[in-house]
Amino acid sequence: MVYPSDIKFNPNPSTIMHIDLNSCFATIEQQANPHLRGKPVAVAAYSTPSGCIIAPSIEAKKYGIKVGMRVKEGKLLCPSLLILSPDPWKYRNVHLSLRKMLSDYTDKVTPKSIDEFVLVLENYPASRKGMFEVGREIKQRIKKEIGEWIRVSIGIAPNRFLAKTASSLHKPDGLDEINENNFLEIYRGLSLVDLCGIKLRNAARLNNLGIFNVLDFYNAPFWKLKAAFKSVLGYYWYLRLRGLEIDDVELGRHSYGNSFTLPKPLTRIEELSPILVKLVSKMSARLRRAGYKARGIHLAVWFYDWSFWHKGVAFQRELFDPREIYKEAFNILSRCPYRKPVRQLAVSAFRLLKKTNSQLELFERTEEKERLVDSIDEINERWGDFVIAPAR
Amino acid sequence: MIEKISTPVSVSLNFDHKKRRVYPKFLIWEGKIYSVEKIGLHHTYRVGRTLFHVFSVASKSLFFRLVLNTETLHWRLEEISDGLPE
Repeated sequence: MVYPSDIKFNPNPSTIMHIDLNSCFATIEQQANPHLRGKPVAVAAYSTPSGCIIAPSIEAKKYGIKVGMRVKEGKLLCPSLLILSPDPWKYRNVHLSLRKMLSDYTDKVTPKSIDEFVLVLENYPASRKGMFEVGREIKQRIKKEIGEWIRVSIGIAPNRFLAKTASSLHKPDGLDEINENNFLEIYRGLSLVDLCGIKLRNAARLNNLGIFNVLDFYNAPFWKLKAAFKSVLGYYWYLRLRGLEIDDVELGRHSYGNSFTLPKPLTRIEELSPILVKLVSKMSARLRRAGYKARGIHLAVWFYDWSFWHKGVAFQRELFDPREIYKEAFNILSRCPYRKPVRQLAVSAFRLLKKTNSQLELFERTEEKERLVDSIDEINERWGDFVIAPAR
Repeated sequence: MIEKISTPVSVSLNFDHKKRRVYPKFLIWEGKIYSVEKIGLHHTYRVGRTLFHVFSVASKSLFFRLVLNTETLHWRLEEISDGLPE
């Protein structure tokens, strides 16, 4: 394939908007509890000293507290740091309210995660007001309709990648555009690792070819990028940096998974199996609710010494029954060659297939089993998760 | 300091039909009346089919997490906090 290599920056008007909820979980907690506003707080998986910080507030970030730090490290940097437990329902409610509000502007609203949305406003009436005006209006409506402490950074650009880059230029509460007229100036102020998708290893690849900053990256001929990435990725980067769209792909669902970080290290398989039962119950309920079965089970284990082990097994038969999935997941766990304290456990189902009429099994009554599992799901939906769970 | 508790609580809930707003006005906990000065957030969650409404509210000095079970219409106080570090 011959790739065009003399492409200029996209001259089309900016119609993509990227919205990023600043310090999402911590900000929502401060919205809920007015006494926490303006104070350094952090949401952590556990409040114990070794608990992992998953969201520091804007005030906590000023002390150098970052995502991934331990609670004890955070408290060393800021002794008055307040640690909060995560409340997923709260965050999900805010996400849904925000999503509903954003759908007033366009029906092309894509949530990229719990705290990020992409809006395509091309040919929508809202864009006639001007993208900056829409951005300002969204900020005002968020304060009025969702919460006055909730702040978002908004990025506007001709493509998704640059809209995301623009949204991280001024945090919190930013509103920036990257377009044909200012891209060179903005690129000049960015380092390679400021770009989403470029971290140390990719930066090293680029450095090897004499690309040390974003301006070098933009000016690099196509052959150089191809040599750096040794794949079609070089071409994608060539287009992204020129404001051309390459990221408007909706990736289909390939797996369902659940993970759990243990509050204390556990080593023995008998100690881990109750957690595995719960993970399998949750994951398989989501799988069935979405109308899928699976032909593969994957298990991942993170240890306290930061090492990692995982294994996936594919099957001929279709799996949907939590008891069977648990049995297979347990078998995989038994094959783990390490007996070390476990930090995190994750299980997922892959090779998904839509639930249709089942293949008749010679020795098993699949239909009966399906009816039983459906009944268990109904009971759990009525009375709450884990009211009925498979025995180990 | 944040304290997780789970205790029944008396709550006065108002509905303003003109503004279409529902909000807790005051609560009585351990014999003391706390008037609600600010509603931080209102959200919902389900356990099975039962819907719970959560009002995160603040009095002058304390924060309260009030939870209404829509099946029994009973309130529980699940968390209090003064916003100060431990």
